[in-house]
Amino acid sequence: MKRVNLGLFACALVLTLACGGGAGSPTTGSTIVLGAPLGLTGSLTKESALTKQGYDLWLDWINKQGGINVDGTKHPVTIKYYDDTSNANQSAVLMQKLITEDKANFLLGPYGSAATATDAAIAEQNQIPMVEANGAAQSIFNQGYKYTFGVLSPANKYLQGVVDMAATLNPKPTRIAMLSADDNFSLEVAQGIVDYAPSKGMQVVLYKKYKNGATTLTAEVQAARGVTPDIVLNSGHLAEAIAIHKAAKEQKLNAKIFAYSVGPSTPDFIKSLGKDANFVYDGSQWTPQVKYEPAFYLSVADYVAAYKAKYPDQGDPDYHVAESTAACLALQRAIENAKSLDPKKVRDALVALDVTTFYGQIKFDSRGINIYKPMVVEQIQDGAHHTVYPTDVADKQPMYPTPGWDQR
Amino acid sequence: MGDFVQLLIIGLLGGGIYAAVGVGFGLVWGVLNIVNLAHGALVIIGAYLTWQTFTAWGLDPFLTLPIDAVALFVLGYAVQRGVINRIIRAPLLFTFLLTFGLNLIAVNVLLLVFKSDFRSVTTSYSGAGLELGGIVLPYIRLAALGIALLMAAALAALLSRSRIGLAIQAMAADRDAAQLVGIDLRHAYAVTYGLGAACAGVAGGLIAMIQAITPTAGEPYTLQAFVVVILGGLGRVSATVVGGLAFGLIEAFGQSIPGSGSVFANAIAFGVMVLVLVTRQQGLMGRLR
Repeated sequence: MKRVNLGLFACALVLTLACGGGAGSPTTGSTIVLGAPLGLTGSLTKESALTKQGYDLWLDWINKQGGINVDGTKHPVTIKYYDDTSNANQSAVLMQKLITEDKANFLLGPYGSAATATDAAIAEQNQIPMVEANGAAQSIFNQGYKYTFGVLSPANKYLQGVVDMAATLNPKPTRIAMLSADDNFSLEVAQGIVDYAPSKGMQVVLYKKYKNGATTLTAEVQAARGVTPDIVLNSGHLAEAIAIHKAAKEQKLNAKIFAYSVGPSTPDFIKSLGKDANFVYDGSQWTPQVKYEPAFYLSVADYVAAYKAKYPDQGDPDYHVAESTAACLALQRAIENAKSLDPKKVRDALVALDVTTFYGQIKFDSRGINIYKPMVVEQIQDGAHHTVYPTDVADKQPMYPTPGWDQR
Repeated sequence: MGDFVQLLIIGLLGGGIYAAVGVGFGLVWGVLNIVNLAHGALVIIGAYLTWQTFTAWGLDPFLTLPIDAVALFVLGYAVQRGVINRIIRAPLLFTFLLTFGLNLIAVNVLLLVFKSDFRSVTTSYSGAGLELGGIVLPYIRLAALGIALLMAAALAALLSRSRIGLAIQAMAADRDAAQLVGIDLRHAYAVTYGLGAACAGVAGGLIAMIQAITPTAGEPYTLQAFVVVILGGLGRVSATVVGGLAFGLIEAFGQSIPGSGSVFANAIAFGVMVLVLVTRQQGLMGRLR
């Protein structure tokens, strides 16, 4: 008898709440807590800071709207950050802390494939969706996880755009020297090229791995010089991209194309290298020049403007910022579609998500990674980033070939 | 053959930087018996000083090196006098903990001040070099090697010729005896650490010209300095220089092994270090203490 009474009471409560929520203008609901461990110190500080900018940019916007609209009730949002010191294991520990102690409703990804991989396991164990924007290694998505979603194009696509573009250039470059860091993500980027290049009539004549985070890459550059490549490709990180480019100048390694997977898109690359940064290509998830028609949130131009207003001394937002914002948008739209804060329902809404934003199409394949959005190719021309491929989104022609170091 | 010569040059030039980083670390370790985990942070403070004076006043980065040395000497002197002296006779673990903490503080202060942006000193002659029959000698790295050797020579001369240098040597030999003959230990400790920091500052200035720096970029240098000092041998400046050059050569040739790359370079460097420790405990050139 007691049990029935309790049941009736619960029904009444739910009805009252539902009526209150459904009547006219949205009411304010409980605050949604999102959790994200980021490398606020350590070797990934720069990239993590960009990730945080992307998250915060969306956070400001959504709270200005009153919060996420869940079936008529607007829930304000907070993001709880922890410093994982750029350490993947620490990131997983903090992710667990965010779930158990801070009661995070949903998770946003950390920076980098290594931390994303360890965090994905935590999300899976706790059955709480994690939407991430900075872990592109396919190894994360080949584990059969059901709660991890990546809005970015997978690692093997990072430099394929550069190869596609190179195939259209005259004289056509054929010899590729590939220098890769030895972390999962970078190796997948590199392997993507080793597998793909022959289909475009090119060969990888040198494939050299170096230790992730290396600052001295003179011997690798020397090895590349030994094979007189047309294209020097690097799959690594910002610090290594700068180190390779400096060493290339010092050791007079000339090539028709220098392209780096990560690095040139950040303002630091141009600041560090000055005019030596000119002519460098990179495969980019997004550029401020892309032309997408967003279904909600800001247009590309408004997004760039909003970024510049919030971070005035940073120049244009780079793709790390944009993809991080996109992760928040995917989560927001999924929560709205699910009309619920229940982790399982939101997870199902993420599976079904298909929406175009300023960042491009967001749709996940059966593994949870976004293979539907193309990568674009950027080139630094006269100290500024320009999109040069694919031609339908490009704002400039590629400046090709790259002049020798003595002719600049 | 050309490749071999080029690798030899790359190794020696890289070794110059390691020697520059190593001498200050070796001095502090040898004399004060402190494995200074904040050494990398001192290096990066020097690097930021060079970057700051270069970007703010347009001063040639080589001219900023004396500024780095003086500023870091003062900082090092103050840190030793005010902080580390308090536990100088405590077991090694305490100095480990303290310098580790100092390192954290320094890195995070740098993060607050300079953010995590990558900075680099790029001059009109950056990356330029001499080309001789396919072999390249980058000017800045060549100059860095020269400065590293000069700095080491100056430090060695200071230690063997000057009054404070002799006091430091006496203190390294026997602290109590040195105190008995009237050496002000607290001052001598602080001067030693200051000299170590000054060397780190100069090394940092050189590094700012060669690589992009961030507040966290110093950490690998602490580890490398450790290996360099063990390789060369504790207790003599010249031994550290030999250790640095050896480390540079090992790295260059280790990275060039086909199919390995720098994935192996660290393993090789540490392998050689272990080998040296097993076969010659005093290092390649060191004296047993």
